[in-house]
Amino acid sequence: MRRRKTPWVSYLIIAAGSVMMIFPFLDMIFSSFKGADEYNRMSYSLLPDSFRWDNYRQAIESLQLGLLFRNSLARTVAVTALVLITSSMAAYALAKLRFRGRGFVFQFIVSTMMIPGFLFFIPNFYLVTHFPLVGGNDLLGNNGYGGLATSMLSLILPFSVSAFGIFLMRQFMMTINDAYIEAARIDGASEFRIFFTLILPMALPALATLAIFEFIGQWNEFIWALIIYSVNPELATLPVGVQMLKDHLDPSLTQPLLMAGLVMTTMPVLIVFIFLQKYYVRGMMNSGLK
Amino acid sequence: MTKHSYANKQWLSGYLFLSPALLFYALFLVFPFCFSLFLSFTEWGGFDLATIRWVGLANYRQLFSAESAFLHPILTNTFTFAFGTVAISFVCSLAVAYMIARLRWEGLWRTLYFLPSVTTVVAIGNIWLYMYSPTNGLVNKALELLGLSKQSFLHDPDLALGSIIVVGGWLGIGSSMLILTAGLKAIPEDYYEAAELEGAGLWKTFVFITFPLLRPSVMFVLITSFIGGLQSFTLTMVMTGTGGPGNATNVAGLEMYNQAFSFGNWGIASAMAFILFACIFIMTMIQMALFRRGGVESYE
Repeated sequence: MRRRKTPWVSYLIIAAGSVMMIFPFLDMIFSSFKGADEYNRMSYSLLPDSFRWDNYRQAIESLQLGLLFRNSLARTVAVTALVLITSSMAAYALAKLRFRGRGFVFQFIVSTMMIPGFLFFIPNFYLVTHFPLVGGNDLLGNNGYGGLATSMLSLILPFSVSAFGIFLMRQFMMTINDAYIEAARIDGASEFRIFFTLILPMALPALATLAIFEFIGQWNEFIWALIIYSVNPELATLPVGVQMLKDHLDPSLTQPLLMAGLVMTTMPVLIVFIFLQKYYVRGMMNSGLK
Repeated sequence: MTKHSYANKQWLSGYLFLSPALLFYALFLVFPFCFSLFLSFTEWGGFDLATIRWVGLANYRQLFSAESAFLHPILTNTFTFAFGTVAISFVCSLAVAYMIARLRWEGLWRTLYFLPSVTTVVAIGNIWLYMYSPTNGLVNKALELLGLSKQSFLHDPDLALGSIIVVGGWLGIGSSMLILTAGLKAIPEDYYEAAELEGAGLWKTFVFITFPLLRPSVMFVLITSFIGGLQSFTLTMVMTGTGGPGNATNVAGLEMYNQAFSFGNWGIASAMAFILFACIFIMTMIQMALFRRGGVESYE
């Protein structure tokens, strides 16, 4: 007794809606092939006069895309790896070990999720630029030429632990049966051995969800990367570098390059998402959290 | 091995496993939070700690004074933005989640609606900036086809905020849809079969069965996206730079950013951050109260 007639109206609405969701992306892709003069015309056209692949070559050169891509990739991979390690370690302690203060630490970590990120831009900017003993700083963090902002670490360290990640991993580890762990303990395995050889392999699905979540989030992160860029342009990531294009070149010439840069910034993450979305969507829906 | 020493051993390894996270929280969370709170009572241009001057409540008094632009229009814009984006994304995502649950290729539809959520806001903002172009943008082309006159969306003080809200709402559909879909899937199929036997149509089923049972997810989506909307300022920054024309699109996060990083008024910027934090904190408390059973405690 399954569903009756085909819901044509629903199909129509959903299809029309999805055109509105993807049309801006099509507009971006087609516009990236337009010539500078086409942006000055008085009427809209979706398709370019001709497909100027040269826009991409120019964008890669004038954006120093190689540098931006390397920075973005290094930051994204490093943060993702660190978050996976720190989250699963903390989650193991919170889910499977018994000790005084565990409940308090968990409550503390969950409550940090309520504090909005913008509260930390100002003090963390001071902290990073005045970090002791790096970038020429003395023990008190003074007299340097940029502190941590002289290295990639300034983009990585402030994101190396994620309360959401700890929460997600803990939720998953709670479902692992204690009997496995007890058996390993009786065999004399250390907690670190249990963690690395038993727990981590079992937690792979949750790790995959968290990895994709972090990868997308870090690749797209803008404000902190912009703040660090203001003291060290060498650390520009893709979103920052592309946005800064608007400030540095003649605006009437930059539009095609901007669009080409945006396409190249967006594509890696869209491809990752489309191929791995199974893990992402499932993880997000199970956690009930953004 | 006695029970006592067993527990002691786990105490040691427990804190060893937690040490990276705890070290991080001490350095990048507890210290910055306290430092920022302290800064909000000072006047400071950044860089040299020796130049910090304690001013007590002066920053807060200035922000709440009648002539300050912070309460109006900036904070009112912030709430308008949050309210507007939530209204748009909630209505759309509820309709989408409800409908795609009964269509074929559910996964495909979900991917399409989720694409903006995984795209950097820099790209979203710039694409829409181009689509809103007064001369050759897509939106004006559409208005033209409908026989309406062209608009200068982001330069017209009456239209600018609304234009950004539309983009923010469009952007928010994907993630709300995921949470609502999860809620919909948790509703037992029996209810729908009973409704079908009673001859209830799509609309009646929605009003009398789906919506009441979906209420926890609905509340969760509404409040978390409202809190997200209050914090959001990257989109505004990409689309209008400093929140112009005038302060027409300026929101609290953006004003805070500009006060700190463009004008070097770190004290007043920190005070703004804490006022906005207070607003968000109140919203979170409301959420906690509404979810006494579904909140943090239920995960214990």
